[in-house]
Amino acid sequence: MTTPTAVAAARRQDLAPRKRWPYRKHAVGLLFLLPATALICLFTLVPFAQAILLSFQEWDGISPDTPWVGLENYERVFGDQVFWESMKNVLAFAVIGFFIGNAISLGMAMAVHKARRARSFFRTAYYIPGVFSVVVIGLMWGWLYEPSVGIINRLLVSIGLEGLQQNWLGDPALALGSVAVTFVWYHWGFGFILFLAGLQDIPAEQYEAASLDGARAWAKFRYVTWPHLVPVTTIVGLLSLLGALQIFGTVQVLTNGGPGYHTMVPTLVIYTEAFTSHRYGVAAAMSVIFGGALVLLALIQLGLTQRRSRS
Amino acid sequence: MLAEQYEEETGVVVTVDTPGPADYVAKLQAAAQANDMPDVYTAVGATDMAPFYKAGWALRLDDELADGWSDNFTPAVLELTAFPEGNPLEVPAGSYAAYWELATFGLLVQPETAGIDAANPPTTIDEMIDEFNDGTFSVAASLTPSLLQSYASNYMTDEEINATFTGDAPWTTDAWENTFQLLVDLTEGGVIANDALPGGSDDNPTVEKSFFNIQDTGAIFDGSWAVAVAKTTAPDFTDYVSMVLPAASDGDYEPRSPGVTGRGAAVNAKGDHVDEALAFVKWLTEPEQQKVFVDEAGMIPTNPELLDSLAVPDQIAGMASAIGDIQIVPVQLTADVNDAIIRGSQSIVLGEKTVEQVLEEVQTAQDQSS
Repeated sequence: MTTPTAVAAARRQDLAPRKRWPYRKHAVGLLFLLPATALICLFTLVPFAQAILLSFQEWDGISPDTPWVGLENYERVFGDQVFWESMKNVLAFAVIGFFIGNAISLGMAMAVHKARRARSFFRTAYYIPGVFSVVVIGLMWGWLYEPSVGIINRLLVSIGLEGLQQNWLGDPALALGSVAVTFVWYHWGFGFILFLAGLQDIPAEQYEAASLDGARAWAKFRYVTWPHLVPVTTIVGLLSLLGALQIFGTVQVLTNGGPGYHTMVPTLVIYTEAFTSHRYGVAAAMSVIFGGALVLLALIQLGLTQRRSRS
Repeated sequence: MLAEQYEEETGVVVTVDTPGPADYVAKLQAAAQANDMPDVYTAVGATDMAPFYKAGWALRLDDELADGWSDNFTPAVLELTAFPEGNPLEVPAGSYAAYWELATFGLLVQPETAGIDAANPPTTIDEMIDEFNDGTFSVAASLTPSLLQSYASNYMTDEEINATFTGDAPWTTDAWENTFQLLVDLTEGGVIANDALPGGSDDNPTVEKSFFNIQDTGAIFDGSWAVAVAKTTAPDFTDYVSMVLPAASDGDYEPRSPGVTGRGAAVNAKGDHVDEALAFVKWLTEPEQQKVFVDEAGMIPTNPELLDSLAVPDQIAGMASAIGDIQIVPVQLTADVNDAIIRGSQSIVLGEKTVEQVLEEVQTAQDQSS
């Protein structure tokens, strides 16, 4: 027989709020994220895991057999001078792309932001290089750099500077710099647009207040513009750094890594290993090492930027 | 045009897919990985095609060739295209592709710009360097292996060259040192245009453009296929001649151009239309069809009858004359060795490395490939 006290307790239990699923209020958001997460898993994480697996195997790209070779591919990569030389070259591209490329993008964005006329024209003109195919860019700059009939050397002749004519892509001392110039030109539009958007978000009152306080141009940049641009600079810096480290098409079309190995970059070495030498296992090992280095670098840069933002 | 004609004659529909020369092998690899190989596909160099042949993507043609089809090919072509027993690429012995173009290498020269007398051309490399104007000669970095293989025939027999390519003989010999010395001599002679070998993925088209279109280069080293390029891109420019690479002054043998197969095709052994594909390839190699390639594209055919009666344009006559005594070196350079030669040649011309250093690097690349 049920006692009245027990019945009352049971009723209280029924009336008490049910224990809710802790993520319920995020469920809709998670549902929206699901397709993107699934695609990232399918097209990024799974291939990356496959690449790691392949780096311990031998494969010519065609054969159904992929024998396990342990660390043999990694041993080969660690002894490959060309791969490590290419790492040095790509660091040079990264430094140039990160500092010079972003400085130019920021400078152009500030100039266009301040321009009173033809702002739309310059916005379009500066962004246009980035919309072309890398092959078109490579061929175009190849002709600009052509030593005997190229526009750059012809221009130098026409203004009486014959002595400055160079074999821009054939001279080892100039080849890397020449390719880097093309790369910066091709990619500056991306940083330019983001910096411009960032500049347009800065309230005009802050500049007016700074002017009333007697701030000159540099002080305004240092204490108003730059702090507001930190979030944009973080993302532009990270993406341009990763873009420079992954440079491929510009190098392949302009120099194919030459003369000698002076402009060789890891992505081109990996491509050659896989598609020319048919050593997919070695190429995968290179990709794992290079990809790991990129992830590490990205994490370091994000960490540094977050620390700077907090301070 | 030929595909349409074949369809009219046989009722078999031929769909031509043209992925373009750039990254062709990579695209073919992707097709193999996706199990989506065409019934017939272009066969390029042996090194690139070997993985396809090993994986069973090409029909062995030996029985068909033995059954009379071989009459359509000059014996040198059959020798060049057959994989011998124990080849370093580890392809089972046999023939896997049929070719309707034979290519040779040599010089294309615009006599006036280069500074030579076309009626009395130089017969040795030393004479050529003396006679050429400064900065008038160009060769694409990607063609330096062929240039050096041509010149190596002054110092080695075909068997000796083949033995080096297979890894059975070293690169660090006097004969190869003499061969690579050519680059030093050309550089010191001041004849190399812009003092560098053009690189990049389009290096040979760039060199051809400077010769045929801009016409600021007096002489280039190229394959006989270049004439087809000229016919397409500069049909009015005919003021040039071709010639075999002049002999070395201190050579032991008569120089011989490398003989390489040009256009050709393999039949997909796993395809849905193996018999039809084979019939189409056999039809393409018949004299009537090869004649179309000769007339339309200026190709040197592989058919013996056509070769004997070949009426080539004046411009290609010099290169075509090399057909009678081409190098028979069935084994091709591995990708590693090819790359080491290309980059080493650039470094020699730039004065960054010596011949000995480059040969050591080439030997390392050969060892790495084995």
